[in-house]
Formats: sequence, C-alpha cells, structure tokens
Amino acid sequence: MQLDVVEPLRDALSEDVAFTLAITILVAGVFAAYAVWRWTGEAFRRTGLDEVVEGTTFERTAQRFNTSTKGVVAFLFAASVYGLAVLLAFNLVEVLEVDVFWPRVAELLPQVMIAIFAIIIGLILGDKAHLYVQERLRSVKLPEASVLPDLVKYSIFYIAALIALAQIGVATTALIVLLAAYAFGIVLLGAVALKDLLAAGAAGLYLLFTEPYVIGDEVRIDERRGIVQEVDIFVTRVEANGEEYIIPNQRVFQSGIVRIRDSE
Amino acid sequence: MTGLAEFLDELVADVDAVFLFSPGTSRYESLSEEANVVVVSPDNDVDAESFVELPLEFDDLTERVRFGIEGAVENGYVEDQAEIACVAEVFDDGLDTVTRVRADQFEQSGVYDLFANSRAEPSVIRDVLEVVVELGKKGQKGKPVGALFVVGDAGKVMNKSRPLSYNPFEKSHVHVGDPIVNVMLKEFSRLDGAFVISDGGKIVSAYRYLEPAAEGVDIPKGLGARHMAAGAITRDTTAIAIVLSESDGMVRAFKSGELVLELDPEEY
Repeated sequence: MQLDVVEPLRDALSEDVAFTLAITILVAGVFAAYAVWRWTGEAFRRTGLDEVVEGTTFERTAQRFNTSTKGVVAFLFAASVYGLAVLLAFNLVEVLEVDVFWPRVAELLPQVMIAIFAIIIGLILGDKAHLYVQERLRSVKLPEASVLPDLVKYSIFYIAALIALAQIGVATTALIVLLAAYAFGIVLLGAVALKDLLAAGAAGLYLLFTEPYVIGDEVRIDERRGIVQEVDIFVTRVEANGEEYIIPNQRVFQSGIVRIRDSE
Repeated sequence: MTGLAEFLDELVADVDAVFLFSPGTSRYESLSEEANVVVVSPDNDVDAESFVELPLEFDDLTERVRFGIEGAVENGYVEDQAEIACVAEVFDDGLDTVTRVRADQFEQSGVYDLFANSRAEPSVIRDVLEVVVELGKKGQKGKPVGALFVVGDAGKVMNKSRPLSYNPFEKSHVHVGDPIVNVMLKEFSRLDGAFVISDGGKIVSAYRYLEPAAEGVDIPKGLGARHMAAGAITRDTTAIAIVLSESDGMVRAFKSGELVLELDPEEY
C-alpha cells in the first residue's frame, strides 16, 4: 500500500524535513477533505440522487440529527480522505508504533467504509422498493397484500447487512445458508405457482410474433367457435353470440386451433 | 360582508350531497363528517367511498358537473332528484367555486355511460379521445383533418368492414397511449377510412371501410358520411366511435347509434 512508498522516503529525509512535510500533508489533507466534501454534495445534486433519497426512512433519521443522506455520505468521504492524510503524516514522522498498528488500520478502513456504504445503500434501496411495491399494489384492496412490500424491504435489508458483515470479516456462512434457503423457497414456490402463467406467456409470445390468427378472424378452439376479439400475452378472447371465451394461450397450443375461412 | 355570507349559507342549505372536485385530504375529511360527499376527480387520492372517476380534464365546469352527476346517479350515490352543492376549482387556485344544482337539471347525455359502461376500457377511450382532441387542435401539418376511430368489439367491427388498402398496422403491436402513437396516428390520419381499436387498446387496423347497415340511425341532420358511418357501426356492434369532423372541427362520440358527447377540441 501507500506505506511502501513512505518507507524509502522517510529514510532519505532528515527528521526536521519529515516533520515539516508531515504538517504540510496534514494541512493539505484538510483542504482535500473539504474539496471532497463539496464535490460529493455537488455530485448528489447533479445526478439527482437528492430526490431519490427524499422521504426515505434513512433520510428522515439523518434529518433528525440535523444532517441528511448527502451530509452523511459526504462526511464519510471527507473523513476517509482526512484519515488517509493523518495516516500518511504519522507514518512519516514515526510518532507511533506505525509498523504494527497502522497497516492494519489502513487495511480495515476501506472495508469498514464499504460496509457502511452497503448499509446506507441497502437502507435506501429497501425503502424505495417498499414504496414502489406499495404503489403498484395500491389498487389491490386486499389486506394480505400489504405483507409484500415489507417482505421486499426486509429482504433487501438482510442482503445489505450480509454484504456489510462479510466485508468486515464476520463469519456469515450461516446467514448465507439461510438466504439461499429463502431464495430457493421463493424460486420453487414461484415456479410451482406460475407454471401455467409461464406456459401461457410462452405460447402468447409465439402467437404475438407470428400471428397465426388476428383480431376479426373466426376460429374454433376446443369446440368453442367464435370471432377473435383480443390476443394478449396470456389469453385469447373469442366471442360468439354474446358469450366471450377467455382461453389461456397454452390451450391454443395443446389442442390446436381451427381457422374458419369463408363461413358464407 | 354578512350579506354575502348569508347568501352562501342559503346556497348550500339543505343539499343532499356535496360534490367535491379536486379534493385535498383534509378538506374531504372535514366535509365528509357532516355531509354526503361524492368525490369527482381523475384519481381517488383521498380513498373516498363515493368516487366518480373523471376521465378527462373538462375545462368547462358545466361539463364537469354534468359528468359527475351522471356518474353519481348511475352508481347510486345520489337520487336523481337530489339537490347538490358542487365545490370546484375553476381558476387553478384551489377550490374557489360553489354552485348548486339539481341532479335532474341535465338531460341524461350518456357521457358517463360512454366511459364506464362501454366494452373498451375507460383508459383506452380516454387515450383515443385525447389523440382525437389533439388532432383536432393541430390538424395535420396545419390543415384541418377528419378522423374516425372505432373503439372496442374489434372482431365484429373487422367483420363488418373491409380494407381500402394494405393495413399499415398489420403485424404491429402498438397500443393507443404508447408514446410514439400520437405522432403515428397523426400521420396516418390522412388516410381515408376508419381506425379500428380493440377493447384493450391495440390498434388493429387503419384504412377500413365500414359497411354497417345504416337504417334506423338517428343522428342530427347536417353531419356528413363519416358521422353516419360512425353512428351506424355503433348500432350494429357494441363498439363506440369517436369522430373528428373535418368541416367544423368538433369531436363527437357515438354509442348505440346515438350521439352522446360533443366537444370542441379548442377548449381542452
């Protein structure tokens, strides 16, 4: 790391010069940290992240401490830049048992930073996903449906926590096994539940691409004869004498379809 | 000012229901405690029990009130003899207008029925109407155009019409309301014939010559062949038809062979 660069430099310099250099680095570090702090705020504003985090729980919690998501992230960036400067300076003048202590910190610092970011991003993402799912389900007036947004939110929190923990080196194997079991459960249940829909969708794709029959054609599917009114990805609507048959698209494949030409 | 306040009190005395156009949550809650409130707006933001969805931003208050009343009577929120106070927004500045009206003041025009009880989905009808209104405003390259859209019951409509030329929408899966469609429809509006749109909003065909039986169609005299065809096809099928008149620039909607809605595109 940067410590390898410092080592020969330190040997080459006299103690006084090293001390002056260290002070300079400390001062420069302050400016660099400030610049990074400003830059982060600017980047937040430009990329529109400001509006993205607006109203999330994390933002609100941050506001209670008289700061904001932007403030927290900018502070973290600035702190890490300044920490680096301090590290460099201390290393130059050999104030502490640098060789034993600081390299470990230097290794751990980025990991902790990443862990913190994983947590922040996870919290915001979870909140956003919660809102989004809730919005989509708004028209479904079903009390049970309100579990879904929470489920999505906590799943994302869980994954974020997992990343953060793994990042700082805590043993997470058990948690990952749990996650795998959970994901497997969802996939399995989903596959069982959506089997018919998937089949209909696959058949529907074929029907939409090749259009073996179109709206207005007279057809017969399974003894049901009528005029095609609508073909979408899952069902075909066939109407005859005021009766509308809504036929899942895989039926069209399983039993075939008869197009009736020239009924006159 | 007491005179004015008194007059306002009198205006809203003994009403059977309050119609709230473009409500805020707090306003709705405070009103609904003491009166039968019907919310008439594009979205049911306040989760009102009595709610009439406004499919278009009617600029004209009369049209808005008419739509609200027809919707409320149809849904049984109010009796058809009810006295109604309407609280509405006219000048883009929050609720600023109170009017009083009797529910049977208007002749039932069927404009609510057009949206709510047609085969096609209300959003599809709204999208088509929006396209037509825009077409009426701008015309095609500045010149006024006419257009005829038949919405819903597409299978039957297709069987009661024949192609005038190759269908530009064959093998395409565009729906009204897709972003590019307005431009596309505008370009195609110079073609003769009708557009056919399915219940779900798919544009099935352009260039269709409608061949319904025209007997017994009762539309106002003076309207041209396009309107006659529109009226007739809606009598023969369960579709509705929306027509942009080339000569006077009005948008008219037909259902079951009758004219149910007439509006001037310039007012939207």
